[in-house]
Amino acid sequence: MRQLPLAAAALALAALPPAFGSNYLTGVALSGVVFTVAAAALNLVYGYAGLLSFAQLGFWGIGGYCSALTVTRLGGSFWAGLLVAALVNAAVALAIGLPILRTRRHAFVIITLSFALLCALVARDWVSLTRGPLGIPGLPAPRLFGFGFTTATRFYYLVLAYAVLALGFLYALGGSRIGDTLRAIKQNEPLAQSQGVSPLPYKLAAFALSAVVTGVAGAIYVFYLKVVDPLFLDFYYMQTFLIVVIIGGAGSFWGVVLAGMVMVALPEALRFSNDLRMVIYGAILVVAMLALPRGAAGWFADRRLAALRAALE
Amino acid sequence: MTALLEVDGLAKAYRGVHAVADVSFGVAAGAITGLIGPNGSGKSTTIDCISGFQRPDRGRVTLDGADITGLPPQRIARAGLVRTFQTVRVYDQFDLVANLLVAIEPFRTVGWHDALLRTGRYRAARAAAEARARELLDLVGLTRLAAAPASILSYGQKKLLALAAVLMSKPRLVVLDEPVAGVNPTRINEVAGILRKANEAGVSFLIIEHNVEFITGLCDRVVVFDQGRKLTEGPPAEVHGDPRVLDAYLGIDEHGDHVAEAS
Repeated sequence: MRQLPLAAAALALAALPPAFGSNYLTGVALSGVVFTVAAAALNLVYGYAGLLSFAQLGFWGIGGYCSALTVTRLGGSFWAGLLVAALVNAAVALAIGLPILRTRRHAFVIITLSFALLCALVARDWVSLTRGPLGIPGLPAPRLFGFGFTTATRFYYLVLAYAVLALGFLYALGGSRIGDTLRAIKQNEPLAQSQGVSPLPYKLAAFALSAVVTGVAGAIYVFYLKVVDPLFLDFYYMQTFLIVVIIGGAGSFWGVVLAGMVMVALPEALRFSNDLRMVIYGAILVVAMLALPRGAAGWFADRRLAALRAALE
Repeated sequence: MTALLEVDGLAKAYRGVHAVADVSFGVAAGAITGLIGPNGSGKSTTIDCISGFQRPDRGRVTLDGADITGLPPQRIARAGLVRTFQTVRVYDQFDLVANLLVAIEPFRTVGWHDALLRTGRYRAARAAAEARARELLDLVGLTRLAAAPASILSYGQKKLLALAAVLMSKPRLVVLDEPVAGVNPTRINEVAGILRKANEAGVSFLIIEHNVEFITGLCDRVVVFDQGRKLTEGPPAEVHGDPRVLDAYLGIDEHGDHVAEAS
């Protein structure tokens, strides 16, 4: 029964492409699903564990390049590319996570930001591997048992399958004792330690799992774009993930998932006014932040708390 | 009685200033021991060193014969020494039961995959832990608020919750940093009663507290600190009659002894 909302959401999303009947709108929904997965992964480190990690952008890019290079350089399949992306991201996250998770809050933010910028530099300047600013174009459509994910609709279902898998995993993790322990560490680390909790393994697990989920999302997305270049490490993506998490409410699974879909659909819904749409989008963001400083989920939590206080008076 | 906790030659300096200079004392198994002294006499630094939140410069801390000096707090907690904090700490966003379920102890046999997949082993441990949590909430009189987030509790209620949380870890020694400071006077006896009950069940206590009545009524033995050193120790009545103790309090801390300590 607990999985019911998740199944209902997946079914509703599965019905979108036929309802749209348009490749363009299907593409928008596809991006929305991918960004939602990446945002949910950021929510694991930021919302649950309280670690504002900009390294997500780096993992997103590493994932994209890993799958592209596996196919174009190593002659592997798309699926092998996803595996490589997952493994490389897990390894990188564990290697950099171990030292930087020991640093203090602000240092952590700066170091993860530097890591993301470093990834972008590598993508641009290691020309013999990445072809630099030219990028790696012409990524072929993934195939499975002779079935080609050649159209936007077909690719959409591929993305949706991954999203169900990834979000289902994040949902189970967040609702488990592991998620509760992460939230405890975020709220009061010394108290958790005094109760026998070792913070580092939990933070490292959250950091690495979120890197894998983000990386595979990036690895899939480049094959929809059919190209990966240094722009794939543009801060635009990080900003999108972060906005989704903050508007949805850091630490809330459903808040982030719903915000993911809304925030990607919103610029499209505003197309009635092409000149002003990004201005209106920005204005909506500002108003949302002023009205809901802890996101939509935080707003509901506050209302519940107020009702409880009133009941106890 | 054998010593459960042994502190030997403990020293800690911050930027060359000795917060604690060479203190030694013990806590007997099964006893309730008080740790008193004027503000800034090194009590908080000492229990920070004992519980692993500060690394001592010198000295040795042993718990039941095992060296725990300089171990991280979580290792010391798992060894059976659990502390509370002077500025009360609870998980504000968790309800009271969830507050008590963070402790590792009831989930010792539960692995990560058990927790993720909610195996039978996990569900059994969880059910037992919840039952224990409700028992403890009953003990500290917070049952009525069990499902409410901790943020709505009063300061005194949070201290009671923190006390229940400590007992979740099935500790052998509990170090309490000012358990009744800021607690409604009418509830102080309640706290003393809870501590006595836990003590009868086999938990030893080391208590920092400025409330003389509370310490005198509860403790078998009192250790007195002054200026980073141990001034004296003995039964409460004897210690309070000691002119050196009166001198330490009156000579240094003329603003009274209820001022919150800075460190």
